Amino acid sequence: MIVFILRRFFLLLLTMILVSVAVFVIAESSPGNIAKNVLGAFISPEQEAAFIRQNGLDQPMYVRYLHWIAGNDWIAEKKINMPLKRITTEEDFEEWWAVRKDGALIRWKVDGDDLVAIVLTEDGEKTEYIDNERWEAIEDGKQEFWGIDRQNHAVRWVKGETETMFVFVMGKGWMESSGGPKDYIPLKKGFVRGDPGISFRTGRPVNKSLWTRLRNSVVLAGTAFVIVMPLALLLGLIAGLQEGSVRDRFLSVGGMMFSVVPEFATGIFLTLIFSVWLGWLPGAAVLGTSAPWEKPMMLILPVLTLTLIELGYILRITRASMVEVMKSPYIRTAFLKGLPYKKVVFKHAVKNALIAPITVIMLHVNWLLGGIVIVEVVFGYPGLGAYLLESALYKDFNALEAGAMIMVLVAVGTQLVADIIYTFLNPRIRYA
Amino acid sequence: MPEKVETNNAKTKKVRFTDMFAILLSSKIAMVGLVIVLFWVFVALFAPYLTPYTPYEQDWKAPNQGPSAEHILGTDELGRDLWTRLIYGARVVLVVLPVSENISLPGGTAIWGVVVALLIGATLGLIGGYKGGWIDELVMRLLDAMMAIPVILLYLIIVVAIGASAVNVVIAISIVGVPGIARLVRSLTLDIKTREYIRAAETRGESAWFIMFVEILPNTRGPIIIDAMLRIGYAIFAMGTLGFLGLGMPPPSPDWGSMVAKGRAFILTGNPYAALWPSLAIASLVVGLNLLADGIREESMRYQ
Repeated sequence: MIVFILRRFFLLLLTMILVSVAVFVIAESSPGNIAKNVLGAFISPEQEAAFIRQNGLDQPMYVRYLHWIAGNDWIAEKKINMPLKRITTEEDFEEWWAVRKDGALIRWKVDGDDLVAIVLTEDGEKTEYIDNERWEAIEDGKQEFWGIDRQNHAVRWVKGETETMFVFVMGKGWMESSGGPKDYIPLKKGFVRGDPGISFRTGRPVNKSLWTRLRNSVVLAGTAFVIVMPLALLLGLIAGLQEGSVRDRFLSVGGMMFSVVPEFATGIFLTLIFSVWLGWLPGAAVLGTSAPWEKPMMLILPVLTLTLIELGYILRITRASMVEVMKSPYIRTAFLKGLPYKKVVFKHAVKNALIAPITVIMLHVNWLLGGIVIVEVVFGYPGLGAYLLESALYKDFNALEAGAMIMVLVAVGTQLVADIIYTFLNPRIRYA
Repeated sequence: MPEKVETNNAKTKKVRFTDMFAILLSSKIAMVGLVIVLFWVFVALFAPYLTPYTPYEQDWKAPNQGPSAEHILGTDELGRDLWTRLIYGARVVLVVLPVSENISLPGGTAIWGVVVALLIGATLGLIGGYKGGWIDELVMRLLDAMMAIPVILLYLIIVVAIGASAVNVVIAISIVGVPGIARLVRSLTLDIKTREYIRAAETRGESAWFIMFVEILPNTRGPIIIDAMLRIGYAIFAMGTLGFLGLGMPPPSPDWGSMVAKGRAFILTGNPYAALWPSLAIASLVVGLNLLADGIREESMRYQ
């Protein structure tokens, strides 16, 4: 048993790695586009090159992948010769600082030919002083310095030679400025250490928005799930018990119709009925910064849409499973030995009829995730799905990759759980 | 000898077709599905003769209108006739695949998606099932990994990587379809492989490819046909979804999904029609296909 679970776990890990490589390679195969998306379509090739270099996009793919997975602060630490530390400011921005020997945090900027150190003391005070001793001589009589700049890069400045750089200004987007260094390492801790990087679209760490979005999606999916499961299983059992009856035809054909219609069409129909014609519910889920449970009215239509789609699917599986169980010899035996109908159904049939649907539902999570994306887009619900779509359309890799990995983790994780549950419920397939 | 085999085949085929027809007639549900599907195939085939407008013709004097005598289903936000866009949209789904501005192939985008998926999936399934061993293991593990990725994510990533166009929609649909078809064909192959006529072919010294494609593949057609019918439904579903997310056909072309996405913005300002009609169209076509496939499956099970 343990060997089986370990094997499945190993497969899960393998899938994750494969998927992460695939997502990364496909998404980042055309880095030129991100610069155009961020800076506008009319940038010069030099500007594009500067932006790409500044964000480390000029590195070979495998280097970028490694940095994305495992981070690159340890590389920068070696170059700078100081330990690095990431802090979170009061405004919720993440900043990288080098740690001086006396424990103070320090970073630098270049002002003309002078290197200016910025020191952050523990009480939040920033002081600046000229720190020209740190320049190190290299060939041709030039001087260089590896340090941390104010935009979370480990950078190499060369005295007297500066380049164009782009700075993200809150509310204005990416702005051009001068005084830029020669080489950049955009600092990150790496995905496996919990830092998926900075979103190009917002200039903020992906982590910040990702978790809120994920929470919203979980609320949406969870509510739908809690409503769908008992309802669909119950209706499926009823339909399966009365195979071929009018009620069964009605339930299974109706269920099929709801489950095959695309989510966006269902969403449009429901919006038209409940918010345009009847005027009962809001047609869009405008949450702002509040959590979904603070505005439950906004949740009703998205949840209803998801419910209808999933209802039909689970209902049909439960029905098929119930029909099969009711035809099996042990049910016939139970009837023949004179047990009352109710007892046969509830004590013998239902328990076995529920095995298949429960595991199949777990495998259905892939589809459910798709449904969530569409439903979120239809109703403007700020969840993970909508976030993924926005990131994909913008080519905001860091956000896209992080969202994708979470989605895959959810999908593959539930499949693992389904497998394990299934081996407990059905010992015949154990060790398969 | 070969002639005899052929006549036998023709006979069984004829019987099969009449069987099929009898099945259709006896199942009311399948008939309803068939009527809906045929309606859409008809309007898609004869789209140019069913409307005085073209799908791109804008009437800036009459944007966002409800149904009227000139425009039976109303107009969209640029004053384009919704009925026209709807039936040309059906054309893209079922009848033509616009490869580029001047070239289009017969057979709709959804159909092509399924056909390409069938070709690749069946080949992989046949190879895996017939050859077995490490090839099978490798192919199946890779397909498992692919199946583990949420479908929507595959769509997103594929379109991000290769951009939005009809051909890319076909690629997206087929990549998503391949693992399922390969699994189905593989399981059928594992069963058929043990039959005597395969043993006979092997003894005759036929090549592995001959056995796979001439001996095994034709015998897997029953389940594959029903599966393909459901898959066309999925493909239309997927096309709509891609279009709705802005990942489908490029803008001016009449694509149901993107029509809904555009029309959605005007629902709350009082013109529900631009979003309603394409939603209804896609819903009815998908439901029709599923009714048809369901009816056939149920009836053919009853006959067996």
